[in-house]
Order: sequence, then C-alpha cells, then structure tokens
Amino acid sequence: MLILASVDNESAETVSSVSSEAESTSGIQVEKVPLTSQDEEPEEESLSPEAGTPKHIRIPAIKVNAPVIATDLDENNEMIVPDNGEEVAWFEPGREPGSQGNAVLAGHVDDYNGPAVFFDLEKLQPGDEIEITDENDVTMTFVVDKLEAYPLGEAPLREVFGPEDDRKMNLLTCTGLYNASAGTHEERLVVYTTLQQ
Amino acid sequence: MKKVFALFVTVVLLSSVFALEAFADNHGSDEAMVRIAHASPDAPAVDVYVNGEAVVEGAAFKDATDYLNLPAGDHEVAIYPADANGEGDPVISTTLTIEAGMAYTVAAVGMLENLALEVATDSMEVSDGMTKVRVGHLSPDAPTVDVGLIGGDALFSGASFPAITDYQELEAGTYDLEIRTEDGTQVLDLSGTTLEANTVYSVFAVNTADNLEAWVLTDYTAMPSEMPQTGMGGAQSGMNTMLMTGLGAMLAGVLLAGFAFNRRRSHQS
Repeated sequence: MLILASVDNESAETVSSVSSEAESTSGIQVEKVPLTSQDEEPEEESLSPEAGTPKHIRIPAIKVNAPVIATDLDENNEMIVPDNGEEVAWFEPGREPGSQGNAVLAGHVDDYNGPAVFFDLEKLQPGDEIEITDENDVTMTFVVDKLEAYPLGEAPLREVFGPEDDRKMNLLTCTGLYNASAGTHEERLVVYTTLQQ
Repeated sequence: MKKVFALFVTVVLLSSVFALEAFADNHGSDEAMVRIAHASPDAPAVDVYVNGEAVVEGAAFKDATDYLNLPAGDHEVAIYPADANGEGDPVISTTLTIEAGMAYTVAAVGMLENLALEVATDSMEVSDGMTKVRVGHLSPDAPTVDVGLIGGDALFSGASFPAITDYQELEAGTYDLEIRTEDGTQVLDLSGTTLEANTVYSVFAVNTADNLEAWVLTDYTAMPSEMPQTGMGGAQSGMNTMLMTGLGAMLAGVLLAGFAFNRRRSHQS
C-alpha cells in the first residue's frame, strides 16, 4: 500500500532533494488537512494551552526544513506515515506539539532512492533545538532530551505515545539495517524532546 | 503494463505479510498492566513491593506509578512506610489477581489507620474522537456525591467512599463540572475541565472533605499497535544482504523492476 501510494505520488511531484533549504520545501502545499479543531471554546483552566495543528518542522542542527501533515491510524491500528520522503507525519489522534502529553512526529529515514527527511536524525544531540510552526504561525521550540534506538517490536509504545504530564514531542524514524524480506528497518529511533519554557 | 503493476502489488502484499510474521510483538500477550496510586491523605511516603520486590520507592500522597507490566496471575502487593526499607510488617498487603491483557489501578485509600487497597479495572480504549472518563470517590470523610454539569444533569450519581465508577464515553471538549452532594450543594467546582479526544481519564476526588481536590490521571491516549514504518531502504548500500535472503531475492528483484518502471513513467509525466 505504502509503496504504491509513493509511486503514484512521485509522478505528481518532482521534489526530490530532501535536506534542501526553505526554498524547495516552502513551495509544497500541504493537501491533506482532515482536522477538526476542538479548541474553539473559551477555556479557563484547561489541562493544556492552545496548541495548534503543526504545519512545519525545522531542525537547524541537521538542516531539516519540512512540511508536516496530519495522519491517523489505519485499519490495522498502525500509524500512517507519509507516502514520500519529504514530509513529516504528525500523529493526529494524539496530542498537538506544545500541549501536555506526548506529541508524535514520524518521518522516513530513506525512501527508495536514498536519504529522506529524517536521515540525519540520529546525529541529533541532547540540547539541540527543534522548531515547530503551527497553523497560526506560532513557532515553538523543543529541546532534545535523549535518543533511544529500539529493536522492532520492543519500543515502549506507551512511553512514546502515551499519557505524560510534561509537554513532550517525540520524533520517530527507522534505523538499523534494512531487512528486505521483512520490508522494514530492524530498529526504530526515538528522539525525545521537551518544550522549551 | 497491468501485469507489472499486479505483480508489484503482490510483492508488496507478500512482504508485508512477512514483516508481520518476522516481527510480531510477542511479549505482552500474557501480561497485565498495574499502576499503584497513593490516595491516602495522611499516610506517609511509602514503598510498594510486588512479590517481595520494591517496584516503587517514596510514593507520596497523590503520586501514581506508571503502569507496571506483570504476568497474569496472583501477585502479593505490599505497602511499607518508605523509611522501613521493606522490613517488618507492611502497612497493608493484598493478593492481587490479574488477567492477561487487562489494566488495573490499585489505590491505597482511606486514612492511615483504616488504609485499604481499592482495585479498579482500567480502560485502554476509546471510540475514535471521543473521550472517556470515570470518577473515584476517594475522600474518606466526604459524603455521597454526584458529579455533573453545573446547573445540569449528573454524569455520575451516588458515588460514596471508596467507589470508583464505571467509565462514561463523552464528546471531547471542555466541561463545566462540579462535585455536589445529592441535594445539589456544590462541594468542588470543576469548571473548564478539558477532556481531550481519544483519551481515557480517571478523576479521583481525594483528600479530606475540608480540603477536597480533584486528582486527574490519564489512563490512556491513542496509540498505534506498533511503531510506524519509517523507511524504504533506499539509503542502504548493502543491496547484497537483501539479495541473499532466499525468497527475498526474488521479491526484491521484482520490486526494483516495478519501481524502475514507475520511475520512468513519472519522468515522462
């Protein structure tokens, strides 16, 4: 499924340079925005502040500058990821970056041709900054806490996706060897970050 | 053209089947999740032992552990004062029987002299886009209460210490709630309580009646069944490793052919 979609998409788009700067990515229109905002009502003491839908991610340390799309769970209860190597997926059933809890963004480490948007994610170090710009053009900065790689099937899903008191954002990508017969990389990399206050 | 395409689809389907078999997550199937909550207003910081081993140290009033994964079956849960080092008699202990795939909250409730362990079964699912909430009356000397909309209907009626209600599924959003006695007198204002979509909450009324407060625990937020697949293999130079894996060799070859074919098409368009 994933592969087919990717191929179809490639025929429509010609963007191929992944880690290129703003000029190339800023031209890409984010098409799928199946969002329903719940945050319209005035809030007095809400559990989380106004946090909008994330639209763009910048990671200066590794020259990432990419659009963010909202994705859901598929029928197998798996997180849908972009069908291309340029976009980053935000797990929309979870939290928005900046709100209390674990927001989750996922991007490919490589596509069929070579490096993709999160290829250099493993080079991040604690203290590096990640900027998320939301639908209201508000930019929030997150700071890397730690990087962890987990063998496939052994990642602590609740720690990555589950309830959390702080305002966290976790970036996911693949790492380790690509196992062609399994059609996936053998490890998953999680970059844990916290909102800069 | 059609043929290549069909073959391509088959390859993709096959490889996803292999992926599932090769990497099926097989732990967790015989386990249950247990968290322990300290809801006794006057009890000291405590250590929690499960089957004789310390799993939590120095938990104070209104501390809750993360969920611990424990094998299904019987477990001895014992609570010791934090300064006792697990020696001597526990403040309280109980045998907890848990079932695989279930989640539980074990709450230490009541004043220290009447400390009890209250066990509730937690929900780890919620309908898409909805929110789910339950309440616990864990205030030892507070009267029987309702929890409902200010000036509106009760969502939970007739809760008395130490009851933990069933969950109710609601539209996500912000609610003006209150805890009130059965005659309608407000005992705690919970205006502006935001209940997020795809989230399960436990709201425990804790502390003594004079100092009643709401303690909100998040039981569950939406999560996938496994980590997403975030790579397609194109940056790996070791194409040989692919080709050596028997059946994989055939599949990979066809896959590459299919891809090259589609690439060409895309360049023309």
